[in-house]
Amino acid sequence: MTTTPPFPFPPTYNFPPFFTPQPNTTTRHSQLEKWSSLIQSWCRHHRQYRLSLIDAVESPLFHNTALRKRLDLREARAVVDWMTKSEEEGGGGRRAEWISDAGGASSVVLGNGAGQGPKTVAWIWWRRPEEWADVLVDWVEGTGQKGSVLTVYELIHGEGAMSQEFHGMDTDVMLRSLNVLVKRGRAQIFGGEGQEGVKFF
Amino acid sequence: MFFKSLDLTTALRPLLLPDEILLFVQDAVGLYEGKYKIQNYQNGHAYLTSHRVCYVAAEDPRKYSVAIDLKEIDRVESQAGFLKSSPKLTIYPKPQKKKTDKSRSATASPAVAQQSVLQPTQSLSHIPQTNFQQNPLSPKPINATWICPICSFSNPVPSNFDPATANAATNLPPCLACGIKPPFTTVLKAAISAVASRESPLLSSVASPAIAQDTDQPNANASLSHFGSGGTVPCPRCTFVNHPSLMECEICGAPLSAGSASANRVDSPAPLFEQSHIANTEVSESIKLSFRAGGDKTFHERLRGALVQRKWLLQNAPPVPSPSQGASSEGLPSPVASVESTLPSAPRHSGVGIAGLERRGLEARKKNELVIGNAFEDLEALMASAKQIVALAETLARESGMTTNESSPETSAVLSESAAALGMVTTKDMLNSGSESLYLSELARDLAEYLTDDRKGILQREGGIMSLIDLWAVFNRSRNGVELASPSDFQKAAELWEKLKLPVRLRRFKSGLLVVQRYDWNDEKTIEKIQAWMEELQRVPPDDPVPWDWSLFGRAVTAQEAAHRFKWSVGVAAEELEMAEDRGVLCREEGIEGLRFWRNYISSCGYGDLSRLAI
Repeated sequence: MTTTPPFPFPPTYNFPPFFTPQPNTTTRHSQLEKWSSLIQSWCRHHRQYRLSLIDAVESPLFHNTALRKRLDLREARAVVDWMTKSEEEGGGGRRAEWISDAGGASSVVLGNGAGQGPKTVAWIWWRRPEEWADVLVDWVEGTGQKGSVLTVYELIHGEGAMSQEFHGMDTDVMLRSLNVLVKRGRAQIFGGEGQEGVKFF
Repeated sequence: MFFKSLDLTTALRPLLLPDEILLFVQDAVGLYEGKYKIQNYQNGHAYLTSHRVCYVAAEDPRKYSVAIDLKEIDRVESQAGFLKSSPKLTIYPKPQKKKTDKSRSATASPAVAQQSVLQPTQSLSHIPQTNFQQNPLSPKPINATWICPICSFSNPVPSNFDPATANAATNLPPCLACGIKPPFTTVLKAAISAVASRESPLLSSVASPAIAQDTDQPNANASLSHFGSGGTVPCPRCTFVNHPSLMECEICGAPLSAGSASANRVDSPAPLFEQSHIANTEVSESIKLSFRAGGDKTFHERLRGALVQRKWLLQNAPPVPSPSQGASSEGLPSPVASVESTLPSAPRHSGVGIAGLERRGLEARKKNELVIGNAFEDLEALMASAKQIVALAETLARESGMTTNESSPETSAVLSESAAALGMVTTKDMLNSGSESLYLSELARDLAEYLTDDRKGILQREGGIMSLIDLWAVFNRSRNGVELASPSDFQKAAELWEKLKLPVRLRRFKSGLLVVQRYDWNDEKTIEKIQAWMEELQRVPPDDPVPWDWSLFGRAVTAQEAAHRFKWSVGVAAEELEMAEDRGVLCREEGIEGLRFWRNYISSCGYGDLSRLAI
């Protein structure tokens, strides 16, 4: 990737109690919310779709070197756990999803979370697949490509979508977003694995 | 005799005068004037002190509390309970010279009749010795009673009956109950013995209750017949199952639960007095204390003792007669001081040199010996001279460390302190041994007074809040090692504060720590204080450079710092900080330095930077 500008941390990042789990439920809730939004914006800034906690705990995201404070693995896991839950369950609105290492996770590009037990790698949905689907539809309609056939590779790496947010997107995320469109009846996927094509209606 | 208005302490107890000592307390007491009940004064505490009898109503005590001075009491009669009538003490005032005879006799006779109805069946021959001749108030008219030989009803001797001039031909009114005219001798005897008893009032007052109890109402226990709804009463000590009408255990003599005897006798048959507020009104005839939960015997005994001792005379009394006149001639304030200052004072002998010093030392020792000897003569006397003895003991204890001519202000301060410490402490022996609840409520009042005493300023010193354990230690220490309160009693008493509407409260923190605080002290006040502190920390730059934005976050505080700032104990400070955290005012940081608290920046400006994060 090209050099990205430094991530602008929110002011709470420099607040020492931010790194201590708060016993008060209200405070805890807003603390988790803040962590959730911090993780989301961090991933968005770095165009990261999946987060490996093992690596992340050493990154500036969870380790504030100035304060000499860090969120340890267990705590980080608790935060992501909270993010995976829907708001009805008292969670963070499904802004994350654990990737089980048994499935296709090992085969994908950033497979560094594989084989390290459950709950070490998670999708961070700074846009959920449904939201991505909306973005795709908007783009397709905006560029008049309705009815045309595009390959998934084209969608992710194509020239036409260079300026789009989904440029360089994780293939798995793209496929999940397209599957949402298929379910809605707005697209159709065909072709074999790795060479999927998609037709928008 | 007047009902005097009564000053109450913060704990809603009578405010004691200097030198006044609390002797006895009894709850569930009703007040009568003459035979009339006084409205609003039917359920309260009776406090017997060395100077007064005080009545404090359980409800609205500031309004309904009165006292009568013991010095105005002529005599006291006890009246045992009978069936549903509670045992009573009748207090007769001393005669007042100014009163006109007319009003005297007008109010007197019905009350006397009422009084005597409950003490009937006295055989004729007893009359001259006992005191049914009620009022030795003024020579004329004689407020005596005669007992009808036919029906045993006590009738008043007619007011125009003069034993000096009357003879058999005098017209006598018939008995009020049966209508039979009495024999002349009966009335004459009654009248004469009334005059005689006026001359020795003390004797008769001592003699009468015993007779009344022994002969007249052999079944005094029946007063508790309202127990008897068929249930039996197990003894709290030996578990023997007693008949419900027994007051004391048949086997071991332990008092049975007197508390269950309903004290609510406001609606018993006696007529109500028309006045509902009696402070500063004059007692026309007599007053009665009705003991609905027992305790009358002890009260009577102690009251009699107090009347004999006449402590109120001591207020302006000269110091204890001592061999060294010099001590008293110095005009020292109390007899206590004179004991102490014997050594430095100038003796009347012109003793100089070593011989003089030795003589003075000898005199001092003699006098101390006298004081100690007097005190131990018997227990009553010991209690009477307790103050002196304590002072003496302290003097002796300090003598080694003290230079001979220690100036008195400091000394007397110490002495008065210890005397004050002895003053208002309710000890178990002031109360009926059985009434645990009364002891607890009195202990609760003691504690409340102790805490709110501005002279000591216990709570102020602790920043308005202190842990119960600290209080227990301080309180027991202030009791000079006698009559210590047990921890369980102490806690139970503290739990009563709220019920008794006392100005202190017991509070339990989340962790179970029990603390004592003023009733108007609450979490909001604490939080305000903490918040003010936090804002201050945002303004004042920290001593060392910090990696965070101190003008935004302020600085972390520990429980120690909070304790230091608010003068709390560390335990209390930790609890208060956690309370503030619970309220979302603070948040915590756990680190290698320990637990520290910050202003809750996490949830206070929550959503502002959420939107900023969304880029």
